[in-house]
Amino acid sequence: MKADLVAGVADFNPVRRLPALEVFWIFLRAGCAFGGGLGIVSVLEDEIVTRRAALDRAEFLRLYALSRVTPIGTMSALAVAYGRRFAGFPGTVAALAGLSLPALASMIALTLAYGALRESPLLHLVPGVVVPAALVIVVAATIRLSRPILRLSPDLTIAAAAFGAVFLLGWNVALVLLLGGAVGAVLLRERQGQAR
Amino acid sequence: MSLVELFAFVLVVGLATFSEGARLLPPLQGVLVDERGLLDLDELLYLYAASQAVPGQNNMYVAGVGYQLYGLAGALACTLAVQLPGYLILPLLRGYAWLETCPTVRGFTRGLVAASVGLLAATTLGLARRSLTEPVAVAALGLGLVTVYLLRRPPSLGFVVAAGAGLALRLLLPGR
Repeated sequence: MKADLVAGVADFNPVRRLPALEVFWIFLRAGCAFGGGLGIVSVLEDEIVTRRAALDRAEFLRLYALSRVTPIGTMSALAVAYGRRFAGFPGTVAALAGLSLPALASMIALTLAYGALRESPLLHLVPGVVVPAALVIVVAATIRLSRPILRLSPDLTIAAAAFGAVFLLGWNVALVLLLGGAVGAVLLRERQGQAR
Repeated sequence: MSLVELFAFVLVVGLATFSEGARLLPPLQGVLVDERGLLDLDELLYLYAASQAVPGQNNMYVAGVGYQLYGLAGALACTLAVQLPGYLILPLLRGYAWLETCPTVRGFTRGLVAASVGLLAATTLGLARRSLTEPVAVAALGLGLVTVYLLRRPPSLGFVVAAGAGLALRLLLPGR
């Protein structure tokens, strides 16, 4: 028990370990995604859940949801959470390094090119081309992640309410997540020994 | 402002703004541009705009700010400053691991997960609404989705098809 608590910060399910180098590679690929956080999460879902089955979707979403309510950068928190999950502390370093490298290299290159690019239409052309294209990956990942709850259930109701609150009413994201959790704590709590 | 001060400043501002790219901008402008004159406003806004055109996190324009001020050391320091707060999730996860067997906590997590799916859908639609402002963007996305769902190809190929189609259409049909 003590070894589990010491060794596994979030080991509430059996975990498949990955080498730190593979964690670095996964997050390097994610760091190459366009579309900001959504693009990154989409690639992570593909790499971690679909290709490697290193986490099931529920666990993937759980860590994502917890990182969204933490009052820090979501992607940084996600990298630390998944990195720790797969490869301990070295995994966190590998994940953050992989995630940061593409943007870091790109920003240095664009900073060096400031003089040539600041008036260039290319700077505005690229977002107009790659962000809509990144939506393909984002839409695909959103559909895959939504599938487990796309049936009539209290979970779907909570998801629909959260969607409406954020998209239609513009409510604060962290507040909506916490409210969803609070509703779940009341309506979805399991009695002792009840199967999930 | 020394390199250490820059690191500390970006770290504190990042914690105060959830490290969100757009929210970082006003305090960066206030201190680095208006107060200290270390950057021009043009330079800062260029870096912010450039961060929308590169892959990865939208807050990584701070690396460009660091590079502008202190070269590679500055870029690395600012990158560390926005990424290190990610470790704050570990105590949260540890606390959750202790409480996870509690039925109420399990219910809370299930509700959290369901809400996050709704949030993903809302954010996806929000991104679509902001980026699909021209017919060529819609056409490019459509081609990408056809690649994935009708031709049953990987989403990464759908991205390539959509980006290629978007670029070709913009070059062939300027002003659309």
